[in-house]
Amino acid sequence: MNESVILWAFALLTAPFFAGVIFKVKAFFGGRKGSPVLINYYTLFKLFKKGSVYSTSTTFIFKIGPVVSLGATATILLFLPIAGHTPVISFNGDVIFILYLFGLARFFTIAAAMDTASPFEGMGAAREAYFPIICEAAMFMILILFYRLTGDLSFSAYFAGAQPFGFWQTGGPTMFFVIIAFFIILLTENARVPVDDPATHLELTMIHEVMVLDHSGPDLGFIEMGAFLKLFFYASIVSRMILPFELGHPLLNLALFSIGVLIVYVAVGVVESVTARYRMDRVPKFVLTSFALAFFATVITLELLK
Amino acid sequence: MNLPADTILSMALLSILFSFGSSRLPGLIKVLAFQGVVVCIVPLFLDQEMSTGGIVFTIATLAIRGFIIPGCIYLAIKKVAIGREVEPIVGFHASMLVGLLLIVGASFASHRFDIPSSSISVLLLPTAISLLGAGMFLLMARRNAIAMVLGYIMMENGIYLVGTTFSVRARHIVEFGILLDVLAGVMIMAVILQNIKQTFDDVDTARLRTLKE
Repeated sequence: MNESVILWAFALLTAPFFAGVIFKVKAFFGGRKGSPVLINYYTLFKLFKKGSVYSTSTTFIFKIGPVVSLGATATILLFLPIAGHTPVISFNGDVIFILYLFGLARFFTIAAAMDTASPFEGMGAAREAYFPIICEAAMFMILILFYRLTGDLSFSAYFAGAQPFGFWQTGGPTMFFVIIAFFIILLTENARVPVDDPATHLELTMIHEVMVLDHSGPDLGFIEMGAFLKLFFYASIVSRMILPFELGHPLLNLALFSIGVLIVYVAVGVVESVTARYRMDRVPKFVLTSFALAFFATVITLELLK
Repeated sequence: MNLPADTILSMALLSILFSFGSSRLPGLIKVLAFQGVVVCIVPLFLDQEMSTGGIVFTIATLAIRGFIIPGCIYLAIKKVAIGREVEPIVGFHASMLVGLLLIVGASFASHRFDIPSSSISVLLLPTAISLLGAGMFLLMARRNAIAMVLGYIMMENGIYLVGTTFSVRARHIVEFGILLDVLAGVMIMAVILQNIKQTFDDVDTARLRTLKE
């Protein structure tokens, strides 16, 4: 139990560091030296020292939006088996609960964006509501597959201990498709490059960034922190799938897990460096690819299990 | 469960989805070439003992199916300057969904067959049936004549796998007979395409309706 709490704190503390790695990778591809790896901690400190500015047209929804989304994301991490250790909280069916917590966080971000009555933010909110719907279909397809493989509906049954290795034994090659599908979900849900460009400065092309334009100071800090945690959540799941080994010692497991997470973040950075973002009407096709892959993997695995 | 064969067959199934999603002819040809190669190497992983003749036959089919036929079609579209769009009648997202349903249906249907090959590889018959269906779908849902030829080749890949499933002994003779048919078929199609192209300046088959006596 204690170890689970420590691992949870580890996740909260290191998530900004891992996100800094992406900047480093992108700088490397651009031939620059890049910002320091700890840049996100400096940004967070800077934001928390500032005060917030609220427009007179906004209501309390605008103020609670960032807090709720950060709270929901931090709660989600309580259910995540970090480094293969049993999570702090776990019950049968918690995967559904987690997906709806993500939904709650997204709802409040969207509501806060609509509350500002800025047309740009409304546009971003519409996109933010549209793309994750397809993601959710793919996500549930993967969950159906995992349920079929394990007979359980909780994250600790999927990713704790030696279980991810069991997926490889029963599912075999189809796990590659699941990993690719999950990586596409990661890119979409976290507004990374082929779907959305976190570094863009044109409101018309933004999705996530445009929704938080009016937030400032600590509120913006909460939102950034929530984004780091969300990325860490998805990255740690992919990490457990690509390095499904159990080394016996908690510290060794943690080291292996960190390497896996680092690989995922570097992969995100590489994808961002070598691809341009898609035109808005091409994005659904990209996300549908992940659904098709997940569906395909499920069909094949059911066939193999017979 | 035969892991290498099933992995290769799942690649073949995946190539169906890619072929349904590709909007350009060169991409479609590459997917088909990949599919030909993948389908050809499946028998190498099924047979426990493989004679020298069998290996030579497999390599010959691989060369024809994976390189010569796709290469010929690629040269044809280069030479005749055929439009690169496949001009779908059914859109790409809908095609993708059809592909997924096809795979589900094929795996469902394959359980109705009671054949010994299912002990060798579980995915063999489902892949064969879905390749047949997918080739038929490409024939129906694309208006570009070259895309139709490619659909025909995909069907032929399916027939090859069905042959592998049902006949283990006399496979090479059957297979070479079919391949000769396909080669002749593709050549005839090339000639007809040339004629369509000369008459209409396009290979859109919908224009054939304007032909009158």
